[in-house]
Amino acid sequence: MTSEPPGGPSPVAVRLTGITKRFPGVVANHDVNISVRAGSVHAVVGENGAGKSTLMKILYGMQRPDEGTITIDGEVVTLGTPAQAIAAGIGMVHQHFMLADNLSVLENVVLGSEPRKGLRLDFGAARARIDEISKAYGLGVRPDAMVEDLGVGERQRVEILKVLYRGARILILDEPTAVLVPQEVRDLFRAVHELPGRGFTVLFISHHLDEVLEIADEITVIRRGETVATVRPADVPAGQLAGLMVGSELPSPQTRESTVTDRVVLEATGLTVRDAEGRLLLDHVSLRIHSGEIVGIAGVEGNGQTQLVEAIMGMGPLAEGTLTLSGEDVTAWGTRRRRGAGVAFVPEDRNRHGLLLEAPVWENRVLGHQTQAPNRKGPWIDRAGARADTERIVREYDVRTPGIDVTAGSLSGGNQQKLIVGREMSGAPRLLLAAHPTRGVDVGAQAAIWDHIRDARAAGLAVLLVSSDLDELIGLSDSLQVMLRGRLVAEADPATVTPEQLGSAMTGATAAPGTASSPGAP
Amino acid sequence: MSTEVAPTAAPAGPRPRVRATPARTAIAALALVVLLSLVRAISGADDLTSGGAISAALLLAVPIAMAGLGGLWSERAGVANIGLEGMMILGTWGAGWAGYQWGPWAGIVAAVVFGAVGGLLHAIATVVFNVDHIVSGVAINILALGATQFLSNAYFAGRDGGSTKQSPTVDPLGTVSVPFVGDPLASLEAHHWLLVSDVAGILRGLLTNLSWITVLAVLLFPLTFFVLWRTPFGLRLRACGESPTAAESLGVNVYRMKMIAVVASGAFAGLGGASLALAASSFYQEGQTGGRGYIGLAAMIFGNWRPGGLAGGAALFGFADALQLRGGAAIHALLLLVAVLVVLVGAWQLRRRRVVQGGVALACGVAVLVIYLVTTTVPSQLTGSVPYVTTLLVLALASQRLRMPATDGMPYRRGEGG
Repeated sequence: MTSEPPGGPSPVAVRLTGITKRFPGVVANHDVNISVRAGSVHAVVGENGAGKSTLMKILYGMQRPDEGTITIDGEVVTLGTPAQAIAAGIGMVHQHFMLADNLSVLENVVLGSEPRKGLRLDFGAARARIDEISKAYGLGVRPDAMVEDLGVGERQRVEILKVLYRGARILILDEPTAVLVPQEVRDLFRAVHELPGRGFTVLFISHHLDEVLEIADEITVIRRGETVATVRPADVPAGQLAGLMVGSELPSPQTRESTVTDRVVLEATGLTVRDAEGRLLLDHVSLRIHSGEIVGIAGVEGNGQTQLVEAIMGMGPLAEGTLTLSGEDVTAWGTRRRRGAGVAFVPEDRNRHGLLLEAPVWENRVLGHQTQAPNRKGPWIDRAGARADTERIVREYDVRTPGIDVTAGSLSGGNQQKLIVGREMSGAPRLLLAAHPTRGVDVGAQAAIWDHIRDARAAGLAVLLVSSDLDELIGLSDSLQVMLRGRLVAEADPATVTPEQLGSAMTGATAAPGTASSPGAP
Repeated sequence: MSTEVAPTAAPAGPRPRVRATPARTAIAALALVVLLSLVRAISGADDLTSGGAISAALLLAVPIAMAGLGGLWSERAGVANIGLEGMMILGTWGAGWAGYQWGPWAGIVAAVVFGAVGGLLHAIATVVFNVDHIVSGVAINILALGATQFLSNAYFAGRDGGSTKQSPTVDPLGTVSVPFVGDPLASLEAHHWLLVSDVAGILRGLLTNLSWITVLAVLLFPLTFFVLWRTPFGLRLRACGESPTAAESLGVNVYRMKMIAVVASGAFAGLGGASLALAASSFYQEGQTGGRGYIGLAAMIFGNWRPGGLAGGAALFGFADALQLRGGAAIHALLLLVAVLVVLVGAWQLRRRRVVQGGVALACGVAVLVIYLVTTTVPSQLTGSVPYVTTLLVLALASQRLRMPATDGMPYRRGEGG
């Protein structure tokens, strides 16, 4: 049995009970319970990777849950394919648009449920129906335009029209604002506000707390695949919501005496990154990190932290800005040259960017250091040297593995992360970029990784720490910056700031100190 | 909170696209006839617009057109099909094998079935097992060649008129003509009047002594257009090539659509093989396809994955091939025609501000013109390649912004999108 949502007279349109979904090595959703009242806007918030999208794919029939039941309007349903979900009245506006560029709007909308006239597709009927829906909801969609000629906002309206065309009563909007500029967000919100009045139920997925507070009737918070709480926006301040979303784990990293020197290792000036459509992902970020200093970046994920780290690593093109490393201009350098100059990198997604899961542990040691001792002898890989050094990392960083010839994928997440940290720390780096260095690792590995970072700092390493764990940020950092929508918007002193204040700053609300009580983490 | 509206990047400049309206098509056809007529008059090569040459051109265009249609079906569904050549080879063999035993119509059916089997093989490899499309296609080409050589040894060697490289002779398929127009057109044509005789020759070629297989092939073009662009089935098929994840998210069975498309693709290629074995000759012969599967694919690509462009490319190749086979002055006159065509294409591209394409086209046109002027015949060693070079040259230079299906040739797995 699921816990009832607070109050509310209207019946429950969607009830997810005990939903659990496992992927090899990860539990994406664990015992998720959500009740969505008919005719409400229900937000589901959580960080990237918290399991929101997986949950919505389960509701839309694109993934099957391993456990749990889905109830629509009081009836238990099995949703094995999107077609079944559509038949159950569920429609989804995907985060990454599901549109074929080279087809017309009309073709995209009717695909899969085409009106027919004999053998033919009845273009006339389709056009009339699209115009009718478009007019009724003020979508302004032109049925005969090619999708490739449309802007992002228009494409989203086409996606919404697709859902309405199929007669859906329950709308899932998966991160609908992620691709929009502010004006388009306002238009979208106006449209979403109208939907409950017309009998629609909306599930609104987001990690932007300010948006959620503005639009939702109820908010369910998901953290690490589990439902943490369901609240009404009026009942919680933003800071507390951030606390619920991000959580805070024990043990807390302890502060200690400063080792900050006056030698500047990294100086970034006006770093700006745009996406293919020209929207700002990183907006003139300037930053200075000294030897022996840890600079923490706080922020809800997706506010430009990834772009900042990748810009410093040289992984993507910079629109503007310069970077100097110990006084040397490295803006034009490639990633390998920057690594060679002593920039180490713990990526946020260790499976995609940090490791070759199918390769043995010792080969993973060579990655990124393939041009340096002890991995290289003339033009060849120095197998003996690399293996010996891998043994050292396994020993010093306590990587629990049966040997250095097993694949990296067979290690647990915490041990994979320790291997990466060990690899990046070798070769005496000057600057470490650590993105979520302890995400998804157990408490023991977390403490070990903190110790290694702290020791390296004492030895003069400059560290940029990006994390969504507020306690980690406050505990480790010498100075803190808050990032919101691609900008550094606030500075904080880790010695005095509380997680609640930081949480408020992360959402853009400049709440007075001490407004919120402690985060309601379990 | 103070987030400024990001200025959107300057959109890529407007892309003017020429749409083929009926009126434009008619004007272009008329212009082409005038051009042909003038070139014939200047060069004196009367064969250029003779009924015989046009008839042969039509016959030779069919295999290219069918291979191209096969490619169109497959690639519109997102499966790259370089195996058309092999499927065509299977078609020629099937036509010979069934044709000499049970007659030409059985030959056509067998060719279609054999081609479809080749398509099924490609479909299973690429759709079910996610084999790289190019690897699978090349494998099918090699496999088809080896299999037909083996089968010829087993079924044709020692038969009356057959050998290890050739099937026994198949009865002719028969032809069809529009009644009452042949003789008047022929007499008009014999006068060699400017334009009038040329039109008469072209009409005679297009309306009389048509192989049934040609008629069938021509009808398949509007049919393909109707099925792919006017029916729900066609929309789903094309959606699988443009965005299989979108199609999947709307309940389309992407695997099934792709399988159907690739099997159909093989059937078309097989029919093209049948036209080679049963209409252009009267037996299967090893190497009969001569790379026409690839040319068909190229015509389809330069035709921008559309039936109209593909038909134009196939017709051009058929025409050049026919002149090449008839030899003599006609092939030399073809150089003049190509020179004028390419110069016109160049001028058109320049007007549309495509400087590079236009410049290259003009340079090529002038070069061909110079070759025409300083020679009196095309060296016999080169005549065989003229149709190929001509077709590719004109198509490559005339093609507008090519737009292939967005996920053409890419692997697809259910449930992995988005």
